[in-house]
Amino acid sequence: MQFFSRRANLFPLVLAVGGISLCVFAVAMVWYYFGPQFTQVGYSPKQPIVYSHRVHARNLGLDCRYCHANVEVSSVASVPPMQTCMNCHSVVAASSLKLAPLRDAWESGARVEWTRVNKLPDYVYFDHSVHLGAGVGCVECHGRIDEMDQVEQMKPLSMGWCLECHRDVRANQGASRFLRPVSEVTNMGWKRTSSEPLVLPRPLNPAENCSACHR
Amino acid sequence: MNDSSKLPPNPLPEVSRRGFLGSLTASLALLGTEGCRRATEKVVPYQSVPEQVIPGQAMHFATVYARRGDAVGLVVESHEGRPTKIEGNPLHPSSLGAVDAITQASVLDLYDPERTPSPLRAGAKSTWDAFAAELDARLSKHATDLGATLRVLATPTNSPTVQRLRAAFGRRFPAARVHTYAPVDAANVHAGSTLALGRAMQPLLAFDQAKVILSLDSDFLQTEPGNVRAHRSFSVGRAVTSPQSSMSRLYVVEPGWSTTGLAADHRLPLPAGRVPAYAAALAAELARLGLPLGAVGDAAATVKATGAFEPRWIQAVAKDLLRGGKSSVLVVGTRQPAIVHALACAVNRALGSEGPVVSYVDAFDPSEAKAADLASLVSAIGAGKVETLLLLGGNPVYDAPADLHVQETLSKVQLTAHLAGFVDETSAGCVWHLPMTHELEAWGDQRALDGTVALQQPLIAPLFGGKSELEIWASLAGEKDARPYDLVRATSRAPLLLESGLTSSGDGKDGKIDCTDALGVHVQYPVLGFEHDWKKALRDGVLAAAKVGAPVLDPGAALALRAPDIAAELAKTELAAPPTRERLEVAFTVDAKMLDGRHANNTWLQELADPITKITWDNAGLVSPKTASELGIETGDVIKLSRGDRSVTIAAYVLPGTADGTVILPLGWGRTQAGRIGNRRGFDVFPLRTTDAMGFAGGVSATRTGERYEFARTQQSDSMEGRPLVREATLEEYRQKPHFAELEVAPRRSLPLWTDVDYSKGHQWGMTIDLNACTGCSACVVACQAENNIPVVGKEEVAKGRDMQWLRIDRYFEGEAEEPRALVQPMACVQCEEAPCENVCPVAALEHSAEGLSEITYNRCIGTRYCANNCPYKVRRFNFLNWHNDGVWNETGGLPETLQMQQNPNVTVRFRGVIEKCSYCVQRIQSHRLATKREGRDLRDGDIVTACQQTCPADAIVFGDLNDLGSQVSKLAMGDRRYGLLQELGIKPRTTFLAKIQNPNPEMA
Repeated sequence: MQFFSRRANLFPLVLAVGGISLCVFAVAMVWYYFGPQFTQVGYSPKQPIVYSHRVHARNLGLDCRYCHANVEVSSVASVPPMQTCMNCHSVVAASSLKLAPLRDAWESGARVEWTRVNKLPDYVYFDHSVHLGAGVGCVECHGRIDEMDQVEQMKPLSMGWCLECHRDVRANQGASRFLRPVSEVTNMGWKRTSSEPLVLPRPLNPAENCSACHR
Repeated sequence: MNDSSKLPPNPLPEVSRRGFLGSLTASLALLGTEGCRRATEKVVPYQSVPEQVIPGQAMHFATVYARRGDAVGLVVESHEGRPTKIEGNPLHPSSLGAVDAITQASVLDLYDPERTPSPLRAGAKSTWDAFAAELDARLSKHATDLGATLRVLATPTNSPTVQRLRAAFGRRFPAARVHTYAPVDAANVHAGSTLALGRAMQPLLAFDQAKVILSLDSDFLQTEPGNVRAHRSFSVGRAVTSPQSSMSRLYVVEPGWSTTGLAADHRLPLPAGRVPAYAAALAAELARLGLPLGAVGDAAATVKATGAFEPRWIQAVAKDLLRGGKSSVLVVGTRQPAIVHALACAVNRALGSEGPVVSYVDAFDPSEAKAADLASLVSAIGAGKVETLLLLGGNPVYDAPADLHVQETLSKVQLTAHLAGFVDETSAGCVWHLPMTHELEAWGDQRALDGTVALQQPLIAPLFGGKSELEIWASLAGEKDARPYDLVRATSRAPLLLESGLTSSGDGKDGKIDCTDALGVHVQYPVLGFEHDWKKALRDGVLAAAKVGAPVLDPGAALALRAPDIAAELAKTELAAPPTRERLEVAFTVDAKMLDGRHANNTWLQELADPITKITWDNAGLVSPKTASELGIETGDVIKLSRGDRSVTIAAYVLPGTADGTVILPLGWGRTQAGRIGNRRGFDVFPLRTTDAMGFAGGVSATRTGERYEFARTQQSDSMEGRPLVREATLEEYRQKPHFAELEVAPRRSLPLWTDVDYSKGHQWGMTIDLNACTGCSACVVACQAENNIPVVGKEEVAKGRDMQWLRIDRYFEGEAEEPRALVQPMACVQCEEAPCENVCPVAALEHSAEGLSEITYNRCIGTRYCANNCPYKVRRFNFLNWHNDGVWNETGGLPETLQMQQNPNVTVRFRGVIEKCSYCVQRIQSHRLATKREGRDLRDGDIVTACQQTCPADAIVFGDLNDLGSQVSKLAMGDRRYGLLQELGIKPRTTFLAKIQNPNPEMA
């Protein structure tokens, strides 16, 4: 007495192949869709004041460091104080409607709460100043900010992504594709024109140990 | 007694099974929704950035902290306006870059959430304006009686500005009186120097110049005034750099263990009341051996004391003192009566050590702080002569002598106002409570023991809207509208001009100050130049040339010794008989953590283990094993101590090395109105303290109450169990065999689990801890806690062994139970090269860096605790709970917001379920590495200083690069005294110890 037909002999095979593909599929889905490449990149919240980096950084040609003044000396680039905005906007576009929230806050002393876009977890201690000093351009981590009307996260900012650059620079030094002359770090559109490696004042030694960032 | 009301509440709430499952399900569901959307994080920029502030970078400001007649210069770290960490000011003579545990912890007092936010009138919320109106009305009334019924009770001050304002107050109200009181004062010291030298003076000791030091009940390393300064110079005099080095020898005679006693070469436990007799016997022996003591020696020889002293403690010590001659010195504790101070003065003069070792400086406030001064106030109130009483600081209801009944007395005054940080015992009994600023919130100036004046500048506006003592004095002196800044600046003007060799002779005009120079020539000094001098003084923290009362450096020539007066006083001194079982002695001891009780609400200090007993969150009545067995008590028995009709109850702790017949009673515990943290911790011993017995008292009887009490200690065993943990030798043995500390056991070769790592290149971090310098004072433990955001767990959890401090100080007893020696050893992660902890981590949360750091990545840790089990040093700490939230404050919503402001933004705040340990202050390594990268240079030796190293007053801890052969640490780590603790396990510890050297007198054997 046979309960199963002959075709049922295929069942274990289908189960094995199907099961494995399902697992591979699930892993792939999690790999991509749970990763920062999918969940973080493209994050672009609305900000309390309509501020366009395109207008200021590209059209007007302001250097990044006019507003993010401490980026070369401090760990944080810091959102500029309202005073910096008012340096110009007390005379430039002084009655613009778009700037009403800024003027109101400036006059009343109210807080302006910007939403952080490029965000690292609290257990990561990142320092802007050394990266700039080593010749890592703003664009490497922030993308073409000068083309954004509303700032958007462009890179995954994951640990693997960080280490990719650290390992490349350690191995290739001045020839690394992530580096540029220190004078060009804020130049968003800079392109490498020569195939010669950069001349570094001292060998770069980017950290790969845990406590460099986690402590 | 197992009184759970004395324990902090269990931080785990009672939850039923259903409730638990319910919240489990709810949190799972919430977890699902939480993951859907990224949490928004807000960034709030400044309106305009305050001058010099760079977000993300710490700033440092110099200021000063007053402490028991001394002032310690500080450099305070501030992050975006939040003071987070206190360090010593290297330019200040009383600090030289170091501070002690209490000063380290005082930053926490600033953020204490229980400080009062507004003035209170009769317990109800009021305002400063209301108080000012009431005070003004009072003062205008007193203007008619010249202040005859106006009194002020203040704490002794070191501040020239406060003294100036006090004088102005005296001119405004000639009949008013200012009384001063502090529970621990220098009255005996001043009385002793008045007896011996005719002036109230404070001795200033250069321990680095001393060869033989005899401490008569003086804990000059921890609780006496000028402790940090003394610590530094003492450690210089004890430094051993090679077998050719010489070092000082320290004899300590004291009733109970002190930090100084821990450091002694020879220690004699002697009841405090017997110390005068010992001093007289020693002086007689010195005179007999030919020391020219004159009338003092004759009087000492005729003193009749009951009970004899061990002959070696008289004869051998006297001989050794004579051999040392000009380098021998007697130091006397403030607890001892004036006659002992005068005797020491006479002996030091005869030995010739005045000048080279001892100099004297005039007491800043000679009327300072006598119990008698408070007694006169109390009797004036009793006679109805006081209508207005202002209490500026202090807490007399809690800490005044019990026979004065201050609490009952206060209610007899119409208007009382108490300026204090908290609504304490005294505030509760006053009409007005006025919130006082913390030291880091106010302008001021403080004079150090040697006369150096330092400027106190605020780092933060008063968090709770308080006022400083200086501001109250200003309004009393009629300068109500003057800003404290201007008052301090006005006081500093003359000394600042003096630095330029000028004397001010008028206010001047047109941007010039009228002055005369040293030759008497009229000079116009530009105000801009003065502005520059003032800013420099603020930056440095000290007025370089300004001294209020410079030390008398050659007392022998300047001050005549009144030998006949001392002899006459000695002849009529009644010397106490040795205590007996029925007539015990109690000795009131300044607590190494609480001082006089003012720090009771400070969680770091509460949790800090006592340097000797290792008890946390409590004090105890310390008794010797012999006395304990005579009384039939053991550790944990609650005893009742009675003296006449006064009594206290306290839990006993049996401590070898305590003088027989003495019960040591640490002051400052058992507060009832200190705050949630400090209330009812330990036992209040002030009820036994009276005006005639401020230091110690005899004739005390002890009875068991039958109750039991549990202590929470951080160390369970007092013995090294025969293992060579702390290694030591005498100076002689060291000279004969410099490498004595290295064991003749080859390190076990561990199995080659992987190929050896090459540590010969790059920076290789290492540390040495000099056990010869360490005195166990515990400043480093608090410094580590402040730097690394280490939580506090509470008494119950400490008792379970869950204390979190990364750095602990082990204390071992050696030798006979009657005459034990104590050894201390700071212990933190030693960063093994072959770290056993790293091998067992299942999730690779522990990694070894190429620079030899054993690193831990908190967000990887899953809390198996395998690493802690595998650590031979037991230095890993586990977060059993989310201590910051569920710890001692136990508030919903986590750690009180103000306390969060203290935390170091460069160190992760750890959550429940992760392991942590010493990281060699990796945040400091990293920040200096990045700074040198910015500057384009290499790290140099001395760039990176760990928190423990920075604060150590004895310079026992050295950190640096072992691959840099010129670095201090590599020289020490290759020196002759080095040894690796447990290195025989083959784990290659990076922290190595330098063995202790004793310098005993062979004649004492």
